Amino acid sequence: MLWMSLSTLAERWRLFAGAILSVALGVALVQSAIQVLVATGEPEVPAGVSGREAEAIREGYAGAATLLGMTVMLAWFLAVFVVASTFAFTVAQRRRELALFRLVGAGRGRVVRLLLAEGLLLGAAGSALGVPLGIPAAWAQARLLVALGMLPDDFAAPFSGAAVAVAAPVGVGVALLGVLSAAVRAARVRPLEALRDTGGAARVMTATRWVCGLGSLALTVWMVVAAQSADVLGAVMVALVVSMTGAVALSALSPLAVPLTGRALGALLGGGPLGELARANLADGVRRGASVAAPLIVLVSLVIGLTGTLQSLALFVGEDLKRVVRGDLVVASSGAAADRIAAIPGVETVSAQFTVPVSVTATLREEGRKRRATYHAGVVAVDPAAYARTHRLKARGGLDRLRGNTVAVGPGLDGEGIRLGSTVTARVAGERRTLKVVAALPATMENYAERFLLPREIVPAGVLAKAEAESVVVVADGTDPGEVAERVRAAGIGTARTVARWAEDRSEEQQRGNVGILAALMGLAAVYALVAVVNAVVIATSERRVEFANARVTGLSRPQVVRAAVIETWAVTTIGLLLGCLVAAGALAGIRASAIAAVGRPLLAVPWGLLLALAAGAYAVSGAASAWSAWSATRIPPVRLIAARE
Amino acid sequence: MTYGNAVELHEVSREYGLGVRALDGVSAVFPAGTWTAVMGPSGSGKSTLLHCAAGLEQVTRGRVLLAGRDITAAPDAALTAMRRRSVGFVFQSFNLIGSLTAEQNVALPLKLSGVRVPRRDVHAALARVGLGDRVRHRPRELSGGQQQRVAIARAMIMSPAVLFADEPTGALDSASARTVLGLMREMADAGQTIVMVTHDPAAAARADAVVFLADGRIVDRLVRPTATRVADRLVRLEG
Repeated sequence: MLWMSLSTLAERWRLFAGAILSVALGVALVQSAIQVLVATGEPEVPAGVSGREAEAIREGYAGAATLLGMTVMLAWFLAVFVVASTFAFTVAQRRRELALFRLVGAGRGRVVRLLLAEGLLLGAAGSALGVPLGIPAAWAQARLLVALGMLPDDFAAPFSGAAVAVAAPVGVGVALLGVLSAAVRAARVRPLEALRDTGGAARVMTATRWVCGLGSLALTVWMVVAAQSADVLGAVMVALVVSMTGAVALSALSPLAVPLTGRALGALLGGGPLGELARANLADGVRRGASVAAPLIVLVSLVIGLTGTLQSLALFVGEDLKRVVRGDLVVASSGAAADRIAAIPGVETVSAQFTVPVSVTATLREEGRKRRATYHAGVVAVDPAAYARTHRLKARGGLDRLRGNTVAVGPGLDGEGIRLGSTVTARVAGERRTLKVVAALPATMENYAERFLLPREIVPAGVLAKAEAESVVVVADGTDPGEVAERVRAAGIGTARTVARWAEDRSEEQQRGNVGILAALMGLAAVYALVAVVNAVVIATSERRVEFANARVTGLSRPQVVRAAVIETWAVTTIGLLLGCLVAAGALAGIRASAIAAVGRPLLAVPWGLLLALAAGAYAVSGAASAWSAWSATRIPPVRLIAARE
Repeated sequence: MTYGNAVELHEVSREYGLGVRALDGVSAVFPAGTWTAVMGPSGSGKSTLLHCAAGLEQVTRGRVLLAGRDITAAPDAALTAMRRRSVGFVFQSFNLIGSLTAEQNVALPLKLSGVRVPRRDVHAALARVGLGDRVRHRPRELSGGQQQRVAIARAMIMSPAVLFADEPTGALDSASARTVLGLMREMADAGQTIVMVTHDPAAAARADAVVFLADGRIVDRLVRPTATRVADRLVRLEG
């Protein structure tokens, strides 16, 4: 039986190379994510750095680890998805040959065993290739996180045996799983039907496909509906899961979209012979089309779903800031200059917020456990009365009690378990002070919101003067805020923006930061999905040599054959993109609904530019792959493929 | 027909790598409006002769005239254009396009050359080959004989200058083969030029003339053949 596998290998190397590639890249993707994740587990804080720097390093590591945790999950999902669909497709492509195998007397069990043995070999080969590929992938991933500023420059993700131990079996296991259902199906089909490609063999919407598709669809729809009344965090989780279950559902059901697309294609191209041929091939090659569309669906749904989610959250931040801050202008200046704002004509109230180099050590109580934590960043000094006038935040306890040796827990530590009435230790200008927690502010949408608010009188004036300050300014009735802003500038105090402008800038700043995060999260995964598209196109096309030869002796020129193949691939690409958008829309519907509860009005950032770029990239990549593989499949003169052999 | 010979071969040789000579200086003419069968033992070069005459393969030496045009060095684009207008094929493997229905297959070559094909004509051609009730079927839903009849209907509607048939009955049972040969006879009687390669004396006997090849040369000719005489010559050639 080995010789048979070997001879098949020689005949169909493209098919098998494609299968191996899908495993290798999947394993590399999972392995690299795990390798970097393992390395972020133990933050290396160099000796001699200040507490503040150490905190920044640890927080960078923690952020990177969270991001990588998600990356590992995405990599897993994509690898399973792509490998399973590729292997199922390779088995479907070989149905004729398997039927012949059956006809010469092989039993059903034997066909399944043959395919499983091949799946095992291909999976093992792919894993063996994937492990060394994972090393440069991990390096690239780590560099990206360093470039994002999350990890220190000297961060390295050393080769991890654990990562290999987890990733390599994924390749083999998923390859076998992908083969299994296809193999059982291939063995069940009657040999003659498989040879003629009729009856059960021609059915694309198999029971497995229906069950898997409808099951995932039901789950997805249920989640999308549930997300309509979820809070923001819930909606984000739902968006993430919907991006995946929705992709599985619509990939399984994508063959149903083919007839509709065929009709649209007909309307678009008219009744020309090439359009007719492409349309007929589309309808005839539904299995092939589904395999090309699947990675595109998953690519679009994940990239657009996640980007839309994160960018919408950034919009929420801006909207939330506008809602929370009650004022006309925000002035950024030094601490010393901030105290001069009140003297500007037309200014009614000033609430300055000084970011001070104070560390706070607090006791956190959650679920009966106690731990102490020291915070360096996010400690600000305020004038409590002015702060209360310029911020719509309902403090528990009351900000009016923030006087003397007291502290208020800021929005950034809401829900962390610091109790009202407890005490914290603060180190102010080298002096230890014990402060009583008298108030706690509710959480806001912002990621790095203030953690502690101190009354400004407990911070020495010299420290305040040197600190960075941000002041919310309310102008007197009947005064034009623009004029006041001009006066602030003219007095050389600092820059003044309207509250709306300031909030939008904060939102945009976060959106810019998201781009890097998304690149780290999905950069490699997106490349993998695109490779899977190319792979499916090449596997499908290389099996069509005889079909192309027939078309050529009927009178199609070689360029026409190639053009018809590209038109067909583009039609399938369109299906993939549209279904992917549908999934993303489902994922983002919950986010939009959650905005109503969170910030009072529906808000959604749809990454249109990215979507356009993705679509252009998908058409370019699938078109090029299709043109190249059709061109190389028509290299042999047609007569050699179809003439009678003597 | 405005020309006397549909196909002319002048001193045609075809060599494959390592000095394998499939055709060795063959000269032959296939007059318009006649059906010629090409026969010979395995490896005699009969298929190569057909492929060279049809422009599917390049000749190593010599000249090929097809429908009055010298195609010896014609580029692929010119040959493709000829396939749409002047040349029809019927192969052993039927060479229909699997994704297209019978009627779409029949209409395709004319559509490719920009001719509008009335559906009525397509259905009439399919009805003539006895497939009037199978117009919407795809090749895989048809038997071998039915598929070959679709290929013949396609040739009928084109009425090409030459119809090349490469073992058209090679994959068919005898009843289907008889039907297909009967249809080809009808076409020939209506003035269609046919060049057919076959190894079956019964098939060759339906042609107007038979050309015998051995070792890449034409060794014999037979006009108004019968199956017995064809078989006789073949036995002599192989012996």
